[in-house]
Amino acid sequence: MTPAERDALAAEHALGLLEGAEAVRAARLAETDTDFAASVEAWRARLAEIDETATAVPAGDALWHRIEQRLGGEVHAARQHAALTERWLAVWNSLGFWRGAGLAAGAACLALAAGLFVLAARQPAPVLVAALLTDDNRVAAIVNIGADGRANLIPLADLPVPSGRVLEVWTLWDRARGPVSVGLSQRAQRLDLKVDDLPRAVPDQLFEITLEPAGGSPTGRPTGQILMKGVTARAL
Amino acid sequence: MHGVSDAARAALSVEETLRRVAGGDRGALRALYDAEAPRMLGVALRILRRRALAEEAVQDAFVQVWRNAGSFDPARGTGRAFLYAVLRYRALNILRAEARTDLNDAADHDVASEEEGPDAVVARLSEARALRRCLDGLDPHRRNAIVLAYAHGLSHGELAGRLGLPLGTVKSWLRRSLLALRECMS
Repeated sequence: MTPAERDALAAEHALGLLEGAEAVRAARLAETDTDFAASVEAWRARLAEIDETATAVPAGDALWHRIEQRLGGEVHAARQHAALTERWLAVWNSLGFWRGAGLAAGAACLALAAGLFVLAARQPAPVLVAALLTDDNRVAAIVNIGADGRANLIPLADLPVPSGRVLEVWTLWDRARGPVSVGLSQRAQRLDLKVDDLPRAVPDQLFEITLEPAGGSPTGRPTGQILMKGVTARAL
Repeated sequence: MHGVSDAARAALSVEETLRRVAGGDRGALRALYDAEAPRMLGVALRILRRRALAEEAVQDAFVQVWRNAGSFDPARGTGRAFLYAVLRYRALNILRAEARTDLNDAADHDVASEEEGPDAVVARLSEARALRRCLDGLDPHRRNAIVLAYAHGLSHGELAGRLGLPLGTVKSWLRRSLLALRECMS
């Protein structure tokens, strides 16, 4: 892409003109490429005055109460069971999550034990933990999310990565937007996940690792085999 | 409410308010609602045209802001830009989802006929500012296309339909228009 093409893509992203694969590509660039993100911001700033021309419409207390209701007792970055149940069901249905085998009780115990172990071993203590399970229900990695929103991945099992391939970590926080890439790695190793530009993680948020071509998925969506996956749970 | 007077809340900048929201201050979120929700509803209504959908977009936006105010980086843009980016993202998502299901096509057209045209939007922009000057300097069709895309959330495909031009033509034509606009504003 030439600089002009990149800036035009940033403009189209800021305007909201893009659909489908192009929209995904631009959203991914905005997350992973600081120059591109800056171009998008610059376009937003150029066009922001158009928002100011919209006629203000009384919003009223009823709408505020609905917002409050949705937030419930949610303390910053926390729980939203209603919305989550919906999202969780969507994950369940759309990805065939936990399909077939289901979650063996032993694996659940192991996940909990592993989570607690990691919890105890790390400072500061994570507020959310996801145990990522392989197809055969082995815990192969843990995702920790701290109170400050930072997230990291700790592998618990070595993964053979063929040459020319990488491990790509994904999270799904918005079904409409689809999975978002939060990390790339040549091999199974500790990894800080790039979640800065994403909404704070919530309970029952899906994390997964796929095998992708070097440099990461060319489409911005998981294309390779899912090696492991799991959803976040609140750490006690 | 929440120990902060209306006057004091109004005086807070959007940036400062977002900082407080990021710290878990529900009163600050309410202050943001009081200050910005009417305009946000107007912006969403222009895109979605139906009140119920526009309210849904504003509601989603505030929930997102509550959860993500911490990701707002003052170095990257203004607080208001952050707020409206969240809102427009939600509104466009709802718009595209509605377009796919296409349940209320006829009703939408009724509202569409009353929609504020791009000329009216441009006329409301301050003549003292670069955006107005530079939009005025563009060919009217190009100007209208940019304003329709931004204010009403039209996609490339919808613009092509409206202008009666092939999709590829509209894309490259709009790109050139946007780059000309940037040139003029720099």
